[in-house]
Amino acid sequence: MSSWYKSWILLTGFILFYVAYLLFGAFVFSTIERPVEDKLKRDIQVLKEEFLNQSCVNATSLENFLERVLQANKYGVSILPNSSASSNWDLASSLFFANTLVTTVGYGHTTPLSDTGKAFSIFYALLGVPFTMLVLTACVQRLMHLVTYGPISMFRQKIGLDPLAATAVHFAILLLVVVLGFFVVPAVVFSYIEDTWSFLDAIYFCFITLCTIGLGDYVPGEKPGQNFRSLYKISVMVYLFVGLMMMYLVLRAFHRMADLHGLTSFFQLPHCDEDIEEDREPIIEAGHEDQHEVEASAKPLDPASQTSYNTINR
Amino acid sequence: MRCPTLLALLAGVMLYLVMGALVFRNLESPKESKEHEKLLCTTRDFLGNHSCVTAQNLSDLIKSVVKAVEAGLDVKHSSTNFTSRWDLASAFFFCGTIITTIGFGNLSPRTKWGQLFCVCYALVGIPMFGFLLAGVGDHMGTGLRKAVWKMETLFLKRRISPTYVRIMSAVLSILIGCLIFLAVPTLVFKEVEDWSFLEALYFVVITLTTVGFGDYVAGANRRDGDLFKPLVWLWIVFGLAYFASILTMIGNWLRVLSKKTRAEMEELRAHATDWTQNIQNMSMDFRIPNPLDLNDPFLLQRRRWKRSTRRRVRRGALGHHGRQGVIGENGHLPNRWVSHTRSMTRLEVVRLGGGEVRNEGTRLGPGAVLGADSRVSARSEGRSLGRTVARSLSLSMPAARSVMELDYDLDPVAMMMLQGESVSLSESPESDSRSEVSSSDFHTYDMCTPGQGITFASFDASGSLCTVRGSQGGSRQVFFQEDVRFPVPLQQLPKSHNPTKPIPMSPIFSVKPMPLPMPTPPGCKMLDFFGENLAYIDESSDTLSDRNQPIEGAVSPRPRKPRRRSIRRQLPHRSPLKERRDSDMQPPSNPPTPPPLRD
Repeated sequence: MSSWYKSWILLTGFILFYVAYLLFGAFVFSTIERPVEDKLKRDIQVLKEEFLNQSCVNATSLENFLERVLQANKYGVSILPNSSASSNWDLASSLFFANTLVTTVGYGHTTPLSDTGKAFSIFYALLGVPFTMLVLTACVQRLMHLVTYGPISMFRQKIGLDPLAATAVHFAILLLVVVLGFFVVPAVVFSYIEDTWSFLDAIYFCFITLCTIGLGDYVPGEKPGQNFRSLYKISVMVYLFVGLMMMYLVLRAFHRMADLHGLTSFFQLPHCDEDIEEDREPIIEAGHEDQHEVEASAKPLDPASQTSYNTINR
Repeated sequence: MRCPTLLALLAGVMLYLVMGALVFRNLESPKESKEHEKLLCTTRDFLGNHSCVTAQNLSDLIKSVVKAVEAGLDVKHSSTNFTSRWDLASAFFFCGTIITTIGFGNLSPRTKWGQLFCVCYALVGIPMFGFLLAGVGDHMGTGLRKAVWKMETLFLKRRISPTYVRIMSAVLSILIGCLIFLAVPTLVFKEVEDWSFLEALYFVVITLTTVGFGDYVAGANRRDGDLFKPLVWLWIVFGLAYFASILTMIGNWLRVLSKKTRAEMEELRAHATDWTQNIQNMSMDFRIPNPLDLNDPFLLQRRRWKRSTRRRVRRGALGHHGRQGVIGENGHLPNRWVSHTRSMTRLEVVRLGGGEVRNEGTRLGPGAVLGADSRVSARSEGRSLGRTVARSLSLSMPAARSVMELDYDLDPVAMMMLQGESVSLSESPESDSRSEVSSSDFHTYDMCTPGQGITFASFDASGSLCTVRGSQGGSRQVFFQEDVRFPVPLQQLPKSHNPTKPIPMSPIFSVKPMPLPMPTPPGCKMLDFFGENLAYIDESSDTLSDRNQPIEGAVSPRPRKPRRRSIRRQLPHRSPLKERRDSDMQPPSNPPTPPPLRD
């Protein structure tokens, strides 16, 4: 019974810690952002006053007008002169939208306006999200052989490290490669293409996108008069897919490494699935078998239950 | 996953995206252009009515206002007293959306430091939330499944086919979850936020799948909703856990469906037979421990040797055939698929296994009944040496009779032996007569062994084993006889994945005796298969809490082979007998030393 109690206690501890974490974040954000918001609001007030003073417009008609404009802007329709050319729902943009819907990023810069669109989004997402998860995890499964198992066994054989050290080293290298290739380099590209983005903005965008948070404050390709807009949006889509795959890969490698090091059993968390034996069976040579035996026997044998999106690895 | 399958999946996703894009474009473009028209009209009217405003002034004003709105300000209310949008409750909500990766975006950091902090915060928070979600989903799943199981026993008492019960329970669990996490919040939001029903439903779905557009955000416009926001966040956490498990289930179904090729079906049947054998042996261990049983040196030694032979087979020591069925021709037979096939006959297996769990006196009834059924089928199809026939037969036979295993070399032999067994069982329930019959069967059939002399020779001392068996009671007789004759087949028991916890863990099955409906006819196999898979999938997200509970009667731990991943996860937490495996490389000598029961 004690292990059962332990799991409950751990869970409660987790929840409490999590709430504390949220409160901490709330406090910090509040402190950082509030002054800036104050200033912006004051500026807007001043602007409105000036406008009202120098013209014959009265406040209410201006209010109404602004309300209409903002309403339209919420839907992505802008009144400004040079933004009337491109629609938000041409094929490439719709594809981009469908992609953000299905990968659960969900920027929200364009959202369905019509009721039919909303209803369709519901069903589309219900089917598309697991579909995408399935494809991504399948790809990750294949990639794992290439990226993880191969190098690890190479480390073990050529350099002669023990399994724990080999996995740790490999994970560090993988992390470095992913950060460089999928955060830094794309950030440089984005900050170059998008005029208003700084490098930090671009990295912030990459991170928010690849974690599928998708706040939507920065969306590539929304600048009016963008050259090759369709191509740009489609390449961002590809970047999103591949980047997500790499994130899952990193997560999975980390999970496996934590398993091997016994962290998951310590925290009574779900273990990594043991597909390593199964998938490698036909390719395996005699030399690798003891590695698997070692790995298998090193892992405690609790079954895994994946209930989180981010840790769905099958 | 096979390469072609993967490519097909990729193509499928691309097609899905393109289809969605087309639909969205056709739905939304007209409305968008209409909005544009309306806005132009309004602007023209405004400029016309207020002639002192130039177009340039207006567009400047609009630009600044839009920028302010994008920064998250609410410019509609021209009140001069300032209520920040970054008050503690809203910031808490914002952090919650960051960590759950929903990311509404109606509020987002504008300063450099805010963005930097956001990145670091998310890096730590998202994995932490993942763990939390796993834990919550765990406990929630357990509770839900227990409730569903109670309902299922009710249904099963009325003799409805277990397959239908399983399907019903799966659908019901989805419906219950939908009701609690989708319908009720939709109504609440509809009332509180004054949205239409569709908008509220749209918000609920978009939030729970963590897409999080942000065009509708609950609690965004309320200034006094300080209790509302945390409640919304709580709903998000539980709804996410539930929705994640549902989506996983749907994803598993899609996966299952995508793998239905005929060749694999055949393989799966083979695995199922092997698996049923495992379950039998597993059920033996889950029984109320009989001291004689557990310490039975011959039994244990035999098992160890079988496991070792099995491993050697898997490594190709005994020839090609042995590896084929286990892995599948493409070499990529995934665990889940295999476990699904195993679940195919699991119902019958466990039923019978459950039947055999209890001590034999009261048990013989159902077992004998099933034996009678199998006898006819056994006799009618017994003589063919076809591998597939043997396997399909095993499907239709009750579990206790199916000793089909994956060592294809032994298939025909095992088949015939098996029939001999079942015949003997159904005809003569006495232990003594059975042993005689079985020994005679043994002699009748041993000429058919294609080079399996190794396995059988060492067990020629069937006389001694028979006597051991004789004391064990009726329904186990067959089992032991099979043990005697088919050391290699039974060895698969430990090799292959440990079956889904048949007795204590799964809330669906229980140790308590259940009424045993007749095994489903072959025509219903497809439905059985699917229904079983539903059950399997349902139980495959099985929980730590389930596992950590003490299991009555489970004394001797089964060695787990790490190969069958998904079955491993249903096994209760027990220490492996891996060190035992390594010493299994030689055939048992007489008398074998009893190994330790637990590590």
